[in-house]
Amino acid sequence: MNSRDITVAGYLAIASSGVALELLSHLSQSRIPSFEQVLSRLMRTRSGRIGVVAGWAWLGMHFFAR
Amino acid sequence: MGSTSRDDPGACKDGSAAPDRSFVAAAREPIIVAIFVLAGIFEVLSGDPVAHGAVLFAVGGLLSWDAVHRRHKEPDPSPAEPSVEPMLRPRVTPLIVSAGLAYAALVGTFARYTWPATVSVVGPGAAGVAVAWRRPTRQAKEPLGLDPWGTVSWVAVFLALALWELAALLLQPSLTTPSAAHPTISTLTDPVLASHLGRSITLSLWLAFGWLLLER
Repeated sequence: MNSRDITVAGYLAIASSGVALELLSHLSQSRIPSFEQVLSRLMRTRSGRIGVVAGWAWLGMHFFAR
Repeated sequence: MGSTSRDDPGACKDGSAAPDRSFVAAAREPIIVAIFVLAGIFEVLSGDPVAHGAVLFAVGGLLSWDAVHRRHKEPDPSPAEPSVEPMLRPRVTPLIVSAGLAYAALVGTFARYTWPATVSVVGPGAAGVAVAWRRPTRQAKEPLGLDPWGTVSWVAVFLALALWELAALLLQPSLTTPSAAHPTISTLTDPVLASHLGRSITLSLWLAFGWLLLER
């Protein structure tokens, strides 16, 4: 296993954790909020809403814009 | 930048807030601004176009200005006031979906980092931020509080992602030289975004996520 594999495995492990949390959040009696609930809570405030949307806009710029 | 109970839906109606919530409200905006400034610094250090970093600095600066401006303005008629009126939410119609897919198919034909691609992405991005800036905060119907430990688990996932990405960035030969041995997310997505199909799918997802955010 080289360093690239370890790096990619790290990303996959983190992504899997996110998927697991999302699945756990849908279980009855779960104390874990879904990603949508976290996003909604974050975007209830003006600064949070603008911050999240600006982050989304920046993602598009980062991958496509010069 | 300070605490404004009217911008914190969790605050009490008479303007007083529980001490812990008040602290969170006071700390929230500086934290958000700091995230944008830090992201801008790394954007510049990693050799990305200056405009990308400038956008992040500008958002941080505007959020600071907006917070100070609202704090000195009484009564506050700004969109920070939670809306009492039910909001008209944009609806997904077949026409909108078709338009989005057509946009993604067309823009996907443009090579990355060209002017046509830039204009095509900056346009919706700027429009989204403008809508978010003007839109009144939604009146909450569901309970405000999330379980702290449940929320911390999500924070841990995103923090881990940020730190792992930072580690990969710092392990590159230099901040401006991508490394196959320690790839960042950008490096890993390069092969996907090299094709028309990959760009179109990514743009579709990006656009759909933006729409989902503006529906919040």
